[in-house]
Amino acid sequence: MTDSPELEPIASASGNSELSWPTQGPISWTAALRIARERLRLDKVVLFIISLFLFILAIILMREGARGLVPLVRDQFSVTNAANSLGFGWLFAYMIMSGSPVAAAALTFFDAGVVDELGAFAMITGSRLGASFIVLFIGFIYVLRGRDRATNLSMGLLPLSVTGTTYLVGLAVGTVLLQTGALDGVQLRSGMLLNSAMSLVFDPIVSLFASFLPGWSLFIIGLGIIMLSFNLFDRCLPQMTVKESQVGRVSRLVYRTWVMFVLGAAITLISMSVSVSLSILVPLSNRGFIRRENVIPYIMGANITTFIDTLLASVLLSNPAAFTVVLVQMVSVTLVSSVILITFYRRYERAMLDFVAWVTTTNLHLALFMITIFIVPIVLILM
Amino acid sequence: MATGGSPHSQTALRFGAQIAGRVGETPTLLTVISREADRPKADAILARALQLLKPAISKVEAKVRVGHPAEEIIREAEERSYDLVVVGERQSHRLVTRFLLGSTAARVVEHAPCPVIIAKGKIGSINHILLCDSGAESPSLLSRFSAQLPALTEGEVEITILHVMSQISAGPGVSGQQLRADAEELIELRAPEGELLEQDIQLLEQLHLSARPKVRHGLVVDEILAEAREGDYDLLVIGAHRGEGWRRILLDDLAHQIIVGADRPVLVVR
Repeated sequence: MTDSPELEPIASASGNSELSWPTQGPISWTAALRIARERLRLDKVVLFIISLFLFILAIILMREGARGLVPLVRDQFSVTNAANSLGFGWLFAYMIMSGSPVAAAALTFFDAGVVDELGAFAMITGSRLGASFIVLFIGFIYVLRGRDRATNLSMGLLPLSVTGTTYLVGLAVGTVLLQTGALDGVQLRSGMLLNSAMSLVFDPIVSLFASFLPGWSLFIIGLGIIMLSFNLFDRCLPQMTVKESQVGRVSRLVYRTWVMFVLGAAITLISMSVSVSLSILVPLSNRGFIRRENVIPYIMGANITTFIDTLLASVLLSNPAAFTVVLVQMVSVTLVSSVILITFYRRYERAMLDFVAWVTTTNLHLALFMITIFIVPIVLILM
Repeated sequence: MATGGSPHSQTALRFGAQIAGRVGETPTLLTVISREADRPKADAILARALQLLKPAISKVEAKVRVGHPAEEIIREAEERSYDLVVVGERQSHRLVTRFLLGSTAARVVEHAPCPVIIAKGKIGSINHILLCDSGAESPSLLSRFSAQLPALTEGEVEITILHVMSQISAGPGVSGQQLRADAEELIELRAPEGELLEQDIQLLEQLHLSARPKVRHGLVVDEILAEAREGDYDLLVIGAHRGEGWRRILLDDLAHQIIVGADRPVLVVR
């Protein structure tokens, strides 16, 4: 659920181990394995419930605390227009090395009146751009430690390039959709019963925090809790050790673009994070390689469903306009990606790969790129 | 050899005649008409084609079938168990070929039970062959095609076995040595790509043919087409798109993209 990546191949605790069960007693091997699986699944379910509980608590705390941040965000950070919001979301995601909490924060800011509809939309876009930097940052550390540029940076640069191009065009499409109100009628509400249940469970906890802490600090606590909840959610995901399995061989093939697009969307729908979704690709191939042809549509698909947690946050806020903002984000990115895939995908693919190759050719190019992606959000905030 | 009387069909005839003349078998010349009433038109097409073939081949079996061109060519190939089908392909605009395809050649390649040559571009003697082996198929491309290879070639033939590595690392921290290596390095490293190239070389040596291994890094289709142009090969040899089960739906049809993009004859091996 977070964007904090775990890019090393994940070793399964149970996958390859030689199990030796006691021979005495009536328990059979198959029954023992079944029990072990059930226990494992139960652990994951409990962890999932805890992470969901923390997620809801965090959203409510952030909503309560956001109002206290109006002077700070408006006056100190000068976030007063969409460009400022874009830069703010972008830098905020850099700072906390994650995009989803920033997207959730954008919604709570909108709910509290800190930013307007367009500002929230731009801040969410900024959060995704900032989140794309994280995989690149990990690769950059490898490069600083003496590893080669192209191998370690390609899978960081590609998501950043694809996200940058599709989201920035999506920003224009989304602005039109928001201003025309084309999607205002599409709503998903949490319902009275759920709202009452949530109030019953979470209001006493929030009141407890509010009784001895300043209002603005609730937002910070909420931010910390939401990051913890995303971290716990990542641990609910099944672990994989495939190496030389059939899956490893399958990963060598070149798939149709729409297949990878749907796969990227589906895996990210479950993992709720592009970087986690990308890290899943590492253990899926036996040598840690992936076909160039397969990567870009996978990222495009992942970039759409990564908003699913933000969509959930908007439902929890019971704010129809916040839901519209997230929906517009998903629809505009889907539209832009679909147009690229249908009309000029091959040219787009080559352009992205050429750009990544250019950045990794020399240290100077890399330095120029890194400086640019830090300067641009700062300039946006100052606009 | 299928002909419809068009200029690109004549290219196919010239290329087919070259191969048939070398093999010494009696080739079949096929034209397809949409209705019986067009039979005089078919006879005229066959007469022109026979004239074109005359210098190279003395004996030809001419046939006319009625129906859809691609379907009838495939049906004929299925009924008579041919070793090879030769068709032409117009050098059309890529956009048109891509969206309207389409073309008879593409449909024949997709469904024919035997290897198909798409004759296009400059036709000459086959001295320089580019064999593109992905290594993803079993048995390998070369082992399926090795029996027919000597019949296609004459005298000194240069064969380049090309493998395109389109892989990039799936994340930071992955060893990238093989992602930059050339053919010799991959063979030395005993990498899967190196072993594939080594097997192909050994197989060609058994046929008393020498081959040069080559690895390019980049997008598969782009690199194959670039190598074909840069090396000025007389024939490209590629594997057919896997046409069965889930693979047909999920895997990209790279063979089709190569056929559309190539500016020279392409042999598609099944």
